[in-house]
Amino acid sequence: MDRPADLVAAWRLLAVALVIVVLSQLLGIRRIEVGIGTILLLPLLYAFLAGLVLNPSITGRVGKVLGRREVRLASPLIIVAILPFIARFGTTIGPDIEAVIAAGPALLLQELGNLGTIVLAFPVAVYLLKLRREAVGATFSVAREPSLAIIADRYGLRGPEGAGVLAVYVVGTLVGTIVFSVMASFVASLDVLDPRALAMACGVGSGSMMAACSGALAATLPEMEDTILAFAGTSNLLTYATGMYVTLFVALPLVEWMYRKAHPEDTRAAATPAATSDEEGAR
Amino acid sequence: MSATPVDDVEDTQDERLSLPSEMTALLAVLPLGWAAQLIATDLSALRAAAGVLALGLIAVIGILLTRALPFLRLPSVAWVSLVGIVASLPMLPWGEAVVGVVGEIDFLALSVPCLAFAGLAISRREVAIAKTSGWKLLVVGVLVLIGTFIGSALIADVTLPLLE
Repeated sequence: MDRPADLVAAWRLLAVALVIVVLSQLLGIRRIEVGIGTILLLPLLYAFLAGLVLNPSITGRVGKVLGRREVRLASPLIIVAILPFIARFGTTIGPDIEAVIAAGPALLLQELGNLGTIVLAFPVAVYLLKLRREAVGATFSVAREPSLAIIADRYGLRGPEGAGVLAVYVVGTLVGTIVFSVMASFVASLDVLDPRALAMACGVGSGSMMAACSGALAATLPEMEDTILAFAGTSNLLTYATGMYVTLFVALPLVEWMYRKAHPEDTRAAATPAATSDEEGAR
Repeated sequence: MSATPVDDVEDTQDERLSLPSEMTALLAVLPLGWAAQLIATDLSALRAAAGVLALGLIAVIGILLTRALPFLRLPSVAWVSLVGIVASLPMLPWGEAVVGVVGEIDFLALSVPCLAFAGLAISRREVAIAKTSGWKLLVVGVLVLIGTFIGSALIADVTLPLLE
């Protein structure tokens, strides 16, 4: 950020972000009733969508407001901008520390909930959509940065497994916040699962997914806001601490085993890195 | 994470900032969070500024710890979260004062700047990946998100009553 052009780009990016933030916040929370449940539209969703609309990679150069230089600068700012938010989460855990520790075993066990992706997504990917090795990378985890590292390490990112994990990573980046906030407010309004359980489930993905998810939960159940934040924050912290081991030592071997059951004829050794000459690698 | 195949992904996704740049960036995004607070809460401009600055300070300590202890390989969000916990523990002398300053800060409004940058940062590469990987992997991606959420929620819902 030391060249003058970068400095101009940085100011322009911040000004655009400020306008987006103010307008999104002024729009406020909107509720949509859908039959048996409620979907909440949150300021953070408007901000994300406004960012997409003004992003030249998505819509071309809309009115030439921003260019590629600004897009490149925005990427590291995501992490920086989420830090005060994460700090706020941490400060809700401290006062509730006794309740969090009492729920410790549940918090640790729900990391196994990662396996829910295998139960739901793997059969659809392999039996319904007829995906091959891509399915292994696509369904073994929720595909955030640690999962990319695991797949890169085991198979390389250029093979079919890499294509699978990258595609799901990108889907998560593109629509993760939308899916999580809609899903959380809807499931919470059904009133069948413990709100603390839903709060823990909010912590399984990236920081911005947790923001969208716990925000929607807290807006649906405002009287439980502090508890929701404490449990979501702790769960997200544990995702970094223990979740990676669940994906590496339980989820990935399980998906490999299920894939061998589904395709016993596919003898390609799991450890062969990035041999992309078979039919799905050439896609 | 220095293996070559990851590099081009990180190039677009996770550009590492130098410490001065990271501090400057943090200072630059705090006013956005402050502006959102003014609209979302009834806090006075001064109270909102104090709360956002206190959270910024927690973030700074977390960033410094991330860089001081790289061998633990914890990401900065984990460190910031831990610092936030320690700062707000009621049994420690500063706990109540910290909660007094940041307790009224609306966390939902605080997430809005981050999501604005997330939308602005989607790169051409990511759009290209989404286009070339086809609709099947997009369907699978959404199912992965739903499956993880429901899986975690179900396990937690079953185990929580056992602890009470």
